[in-house]
Formats: sequence, C-alpha cells, structure tokens
Amino acid sequence: MTEWAALAAKAARGAGAPPAQAQAFGRAAAQHLAQGRAAEDLARALGALPGGPILSLPPALIAAQVDAGTGLQTTLAAPDGPALAQSYVEGLPWRVTVLRAEGGTLCFALDTGTPAPRATPARLTPPPALVKRMEALAERTFVPETDASRQRGAGAGLTDSD
Amino acid sequence: MKDAATPGQMPLRPPGQVMRLARMGSMFPTRISFLRTLMRRLGAERAQVTCHRWQMCPEGFGHAVFRVDLGGHVYSLVAVSSDLPPEARTDRVIATAWDTAYVLYDGVPCEKEVARICAAAPLQEAARFTERDLVLSRANKSVRLFSHVTNSLRAGVQPDEALVRDIGYLMRTTAVYGNGKFGIADRACIDTRPGLEGPFMAEMLTVWLIRHFTHALAEHVGRGPLDRRIKRHLGIGNSTGLGMAPFLVTHPVLLNNWMMARETALARVRALPRLTVDEARRLHGLAQRAATHLAEWIVPDAAHQARIDALRRDWEQARAWLDPAHLRGDHPLDAAIRGTAQSSLDVQELMVALVIEPFGDLVDGLAECMADPFGPMVLPVQDAATLRRRIEAEFAWALDTDYERAEHARQFWYVSAAKQEPRLGDRFEEPGAERESPLDIARRIKALHGDLDAGDEPLPELLARVPDHALAVERVLMAARYPYAEIRDNLIAADCLPIDMLRCKLSFFGASKFDPKSDRWTRITLCQGAPLADELATRADDWWLPVYGG
Repeated sequence: MTEWAALAAKAARGAGAPPAQAQAFGRAAAQHLAQGRAAEDLARALGALPGGPILSLPPALIAAQVDAGTGLQTTLAAPDGPALAQSYVEGLPWRVTVLRAEGGTLCFALDTGTPAPRATPARLTPPPALVKRMEALAERTFVPETDASRQRGAGAGLTDSD
Repeated sequence: MKDAATPGQMPLRPPGQVMRLARMGSMFPTRISFLRTLMRRLGAERAQVTCHRWQMCPEGFGHAVFRVDLGGHVYSLVAVSSDLPPEARTDRVIATAWDTAYVLYDGVPCEKEVARICAAAPLQEAARFTERDLVLSRANKSVRLFSHVTNSLRAGVQPDEALVRDIGYLMRTTAVYGNGKFGIADRACIDTRPGLEGPFMAEMLTVWLIRHFTHALAEHVGRGPLDRRIKRHLGIGNSTGLGMAPFLVTHPVLLNNWMMARETALARVRALPRLTVDEARRLHGLAQRAATHLAEWIVPDAAHQARIDALRRDWEQARAWLDPAHLRGDHPLDAAIRGTAQSSLDVQELMVALVIEPFGDLVDGLAECMADPFGPMVLPVQDAATLRRRIEAEFAWALDTDYERAEHARQFWYVSAAKQEPRLGDRFEEPGAERESPLDIARRIKALHGDLDAGDEPLPELLARVPDHALAVERVLMAARYPYAEIRDNLIAADCLPIDMLRCKLSFFGASKFDPKSDRWTRITLCQGAPLADELATRADDWWLPVYGG
C-alpha cells in the first residue's frame, strides 16, 4: 500500500469501518486521487461512516463479480455516485473495462482471465484539508503510550550496547 | 525464469506442516533469500561501487556518498555520521538520535540535495523526505567492536579475530524504512525497475551499501586498511522488534509467494533421482560449513544458547544423511528430508535450507515469483454454504480454539500513538484493546463460521448483515489460491511468540546469527560473508551460513 492508501485505510478504520472495508477504501482512495477524481468524494465517504459507500460498495462489488464470473457485463449499484465506485472497480486485479457510469450505477466488463498489475500512479499530493482530516481520523486507531507499552509493548529490552 | 521447462518436483510440504509458528521460527536463510538474489544480480551486472563524496573529520563524523549502478539506474547511498553522546545510544524504538543515518537516493544527489539529506536523515521519523529518497535508515555502532577495530588499526595491527568472529558487525541498523514512509518514494515508483522488482530489494541494496560504508569509516578512523578476510566477516547488524511482525499477516499474498517459492525449491531438489559427484561433494562440504557456523553462533541469552547447543549436537547426527555413502543412493535429498523428519524443527529447517543451496539452476528462477504485482486474485463464492464448506476444509485449525478463554485471547496487537509502530499488549491488564489491530485472523474465522447457517444466504447479504466478517471472508476466499498465506496459529494467544514471526521474515531477508533478546525482539546479522564491493565479479554467490575466514 502506498503512503496515502495506508493513511486513507487508517482513516476509514478510525471512522468506524471494519478492517477489510477500510483497506478496500484505502486502495480505492489512492486510485481515485491518481485519476484526478474529486477529493470531496473521499471526505464524503468518510463522513458517511458507519454507513455510506465504504460499507455498501464492497458487498455490491462482490455481487457484481459473481455476475461477471459468468463472462457477462455487470452493473454495480452505486447510490452515492459512480466516481468512487469506479475507483473501487479499477482496483480489481483483473482487466476491467468501464462501459457506462450514470446515475447510481456503473456498468463494466470484467475479464477474470487476464490479470492486471496494480496501477502505479505518479506521486499523489492530496489536498491538505483531506490529509488533515484523514490524519485526525487515523489517530483514533492509535493507542496512547503508557509506561507498560513503552517498556514492554515494543518488546525492547534494556541492552543497548554490545 | 531461467528454466525453459518446469523441472520435476515432489509434492510440496502441506501448509498445515509449514505454516506453524514454531516451524517458521526455526527457518534459516536460503539461496533465494532476498540478499542472495540481490548479490547475484549485482554480480551478474559486474556492478561497481564508487565513492562519490567523502567529507569526514579524522574522528569519523561528516558525510559520504557512494554510488552504484543497477539495472540501468544509478543509486546513491548518502551516509551521515554524527557524534552521539553515549547516553543517547539506544536500539529501542523510542530513540531519537543515532550514530549514523542513511538515505538511498535515486540518482546522484547534487550539492543541494546532499545538504538536504544531511539535515533531514539524522531526524529520521521526525523529518519529511521526497520521492528521490528511496529508503531511509539509521545505525548505531557496536561500540565495543568499532572502538577495538579503529584502535587496532591506529596501532598498526589487525583487530582481534575472535572479537570480530563473535560480534560480526561494526554497526547495527535499528530501522530500514521503505515504501512511502515519511514521504520517501512509494514502492510503486521503483518496483518495475530491473533489479528492484523483487520484495525489499531497495532495502537490501541499502543494507549492503551501509555495510560497505561501515568498513570505509572504520578504515578512515583507524587510518589503515582492514584485512579482507575480516572485512568479509563484518556484516551489518540489525535490531528488530515487533514492527515487522504484523507484515506477514497483513500481506498474505506475499507470505504465500515467499513460502511457495521456498517449498517449490525444496520439492524440486527432492525430486532429483541421482546426484553427480560434484554435487555430493558440495553438499558434504556445506554440511561441514553448517557445523562450523553453528559452532560460531554464540548468543548471550542462556535459553537460546541452549537451543543452539542442542542444534549443534543434533546436527552431528543429521548431517550423516549428507555423507557420500547416502548421497549415492536414489533420491538422496528426499531421503535426507525424510530421514530428519523426526528431528527437531531446527534440524529439519536447517536441512531444508542446505539441500537447496547447490542447485541454483533449479531454483534461482523461483525468486522471480516472490513479488505480488497483482494483489489477491480471488473471485467471491456465491453463498454462505460454500463459504462454510471452505472454512471447514481449510481452517479447521482455527475452529478448535475457545477464544472466550483468557489464555487464548490474552494478547492484543495495536499501533502506538507515540511512534505509530506495532506493539503487543495484555488485553486484561492494559488499556487500548478496543483499538486492536486485526491480526486475530483465527478468532475472526471462527466467528464467521459461527454466524453462517447451513442455508444459501448470498455472500453480499451476509456482509451487509455483518460487515465485520468481511476480513474473515477475504481470508477464506484466498485460501484456495494461496495455500501458504495464513499463519496457522492463534496470534493473540498468551503463548504466541512474535519472535517466530520475526525469524521467518528475517530469514527471507537472508539474516543469520539470530540473537533474541526477548520473545519480541532480536538482533541479527545481515551480509556477513557477503561479497565486498570489489568481489562481486568473483564470489557473489557462495556465502550461505558464513563462517569466519570462509
């Protein structure tokens, strides 16, 4: 995961998403930014937790893939708009052809016989406001330090020289 | 792959045997460990390391830049050496200052870039880096050995060989950061470059260059050259804590690919029906080298030393399988693996690593299969009933445990606010369990299994009903395609030993001389016996389990 994908995933986790959905959001968020799509889509999705597309898109994508497994085109329900849904779809490890994005649906063809290497986006520079928001949410996943965690949690002993 | 046709192979050892923590914690480096692969690549390219800049005071404080060409790209190690007060020298993650700091730079840095790195690198996590910075690292001196080496050289003599043999490095790194941390380049920026496609290749290149720098620094401060044999034995130490343990759980495809490559290598050599005289001689020699290596492996911790002592004794018996008489038989390497199947895990895994070693033509191409360029390629199943069948077939090991019992759920993994590093706490005595990191795969699989009825509830409906099961569903779906993706143990049990995860991962790096300091952190040695920069053309690939003077 890239730096920003990891941050987006932590932000989603901090905002209440379960771990797998948070990871999926992280990958989609990096793709979303790399494609120049609206950063507001990401902020809105984070704000919608514990509901919204971060929870609704993964099961919808599973349903769509089950359909596409037969080799047919498939339609993904995306009531929160197709842009973020497209970023999720483009993160799949197979060749994807997006056919139509309109209203609350995204129509695409999936070729599960052809692996697609992960996209390698140029370095991302997310809007500072989004970064700040994500960092604040990510902090909710961290555990404040205590004497016990400092002395024992990291596992370090007291032997520093040899 | 080098191979035009796929070589024959025996059946792979099953995941239920391989993916247990105790066995993973007994692993040794092999010839497809990442450092070995990198050295072969550098050797094949006849890579040259040159000192581009050396601004160091007589006491060894200042900076240096070394450059190396690899795969048509130029990389530079920028090394910054600081005068660190003894009281500030600590390997612990809470450290804020180090003897030396490093950046692997993409290209050759100009004056301005060198100045930037010299200012930023000593700050490590507290600084912000750029996409030209590929890897960030720091290292502390082994005070005892560094002082001894430099004092000896100043006195016109070579250092004491016993001390060199026992410590084995002049400095030890306490972190090697890659992949986007603190603003450095994301791995995606370099993972298609020749020579850096494999896992952790940029990090391994950095470590090898740091070792080169430590030799140069000692010779500079000592004002004299080190004997080549001594330099070869001086690797680079590493101090590793819990930070790298969760990686194996959060990167299941990579874990699968690493293990699959190693197990496939083993299966290929076991399938060899006969050995040549030269192959048998080489195996016999390696068995002796392993015995010498074990004799030179001395650690302060009494319990771990006892384990090494036991391995030495057991190895004396096990190595008989590599005597010429045995190696003349049919399928002799399969016989060696079968013959040691009842020995300790340490003996078994040492034998696995050894029998692979002479057969580069058969196994080196497998190193190209150890990356994960695609991500998990799994298709969802239709319904809960199918999922249930898969769990019962592949995850029985996770279903047997009662996670309501305290000893089966005592530990929890978390990320510390102070350092944003993984740590491990006691669920019943420390705060923070509500922010637990999801490494409790076994417990999640059992919870999922418990929520599945025998009917045909579609998977999307199941996940809409219980979103928290999504991670467990992912792992179950992966199992069919990635059989070695899962550590088949309860990682939150009171008796879970993270050190086993560390050793597994570090063995893939190519580490040796494991020196555990607790069940959560260890010192190791990297690059010991590895070719020096001017030896790449002549001895790039014969340093498995290095021995002093070898």
